Amino acid sequence: MSDRDIPEAPEGDDMLAAEYVLGTLPLPERLAAGRRLRTDAEFSARVAAWEARLAPLNDNYAEESPPDLFPAIEAKIFGTAAKTPRRGFGWAGFGWRGFAGGVLAALALAALLFALVPVRAPMVATLRGTDQALVIRAAYSPGTGELVLTRVAGPAPDSGHDYELWTVPAVGAPVAQGLVSAEQVRRRMPGLTEGAKLAVTLEPAGGSPDGTPGLLLVSGIVERR
Amino acid sequence: MAEDPVAELLTRVAAQDRAAFRALYSASAAKLMGVCLRILGNRAEAEEALQEVFTRVWVHAARFDADRARGMTWLIAIARNLCIDRLRGRPEATADDEAMQHVADPAPRAETVLQARGEARRIALCFDTLEPDRAAAVRGAYLDGLSYQDLAERYAVPLNTMRTWLRRSLMKLKECLDA
Repeated sequence: MSDRDIPEAPEGDDMLAAEYVLGTLPLPERLAAGRRLRTDAEFSARVAAWEARLAPLNDNYAEESPPDLFPAIEAKIFGTAAKTPRRGFGWAGFGWRGFAGGVLAALALAALLFALVPVRAPMVATLRGTDQALVIRAAYSPGTGELVLTRVAGPAPDSGHDYELWTVPAVGAPVAQGLVSAEQVRRRMPGLTEGAKLAVTLEPAGGSPDGTPGLLLVSGIVERR
Repeated sequence: MAEDPVAELLTRVAAQDRAAFRALYSASAAKLMGVCLRILGNRAEAEEALQEVFTRVWVHAARFDADRARGMTWLIAIARNLCIDRLRGRPEATADDEAMQHVADPAPRAETVLQARGEARRIALCFDTLEPDRAAAVRGAYLDGLSYQDLAERYAVPLNTMRTWLRRSLMKLKECLDA
């Protein structure tokens, strides 16, 4: 590890890496450091070195058995389980787990439902980012043109910042669509179509001062449910 | 050091192996739940965070580099980062309540004896070179996700003093651990 410690490197960066790993940075600095991790290989190496240095402290975390969350996790990631019985709806209780026939039947049913979905059916998007706690779900009804954004994971912005929504066209600059700092926000956005890209950025309180997006936090594509 | 079954599973998860993902969950969920529960202090939130941790692991497994980290160290870093993000993002009132809870806890669990083996023993020795208060503050930040504000209140010092304490302690720890 010592070979990574370049003597002439600014001590500030190493300290920032240490404080990031320790977890003491205030949220905006934390978010900024988290983003830097992905673009700055040297900073990322410093963080990894600090993680390794402090890793022996992990022995102090006691094991705590959670309930079996794996079906819910699979449902979140792969979606398939979510389209069959809902979370907690006794799929283990009915002895379905591992019963391939049941899964196939469910998939067939899901395929049939997809085929029957009318064009005006609700659309959804899940906005996520890399190394980002924030997750925002979007639900859109083309009939009414109403978009409902719900923050399902991650923090609210601190008092000095706001989250701002953008539509990101395939060509051209993103278009600001207003602040979405509240846990749930409803917005009239007629004309949103399948495949549209939505993004949420971190901005100074009140929103982007110059109409250009700040720090990109999460993004997602609008698709048919 | 060579044996790292979690790292092997992570490599398979990076190749979208769902059986390996299930095995990884079985092998690590209890430890990661321990991390989330300790930092968030609430079982419902910890369970929700744990689901998100595994979602991230599935998405980012390809970033795991077995040459740079042990598998479990990498997983715990993801869990700590996610839980601390959530803690920092809590509305002020809740954060204060949380700080009060921590302040009210006179004997931090962080003081539990570090397992005296290998690296753990070494880090315990290095912590011993710090003043006891400062060693406890570093452990409280790392293990419980305490912020500078929480720590400043607990040790009744100004926030900037706490920041200076911790920075100096971290530099001392680094010198000791890298020596």
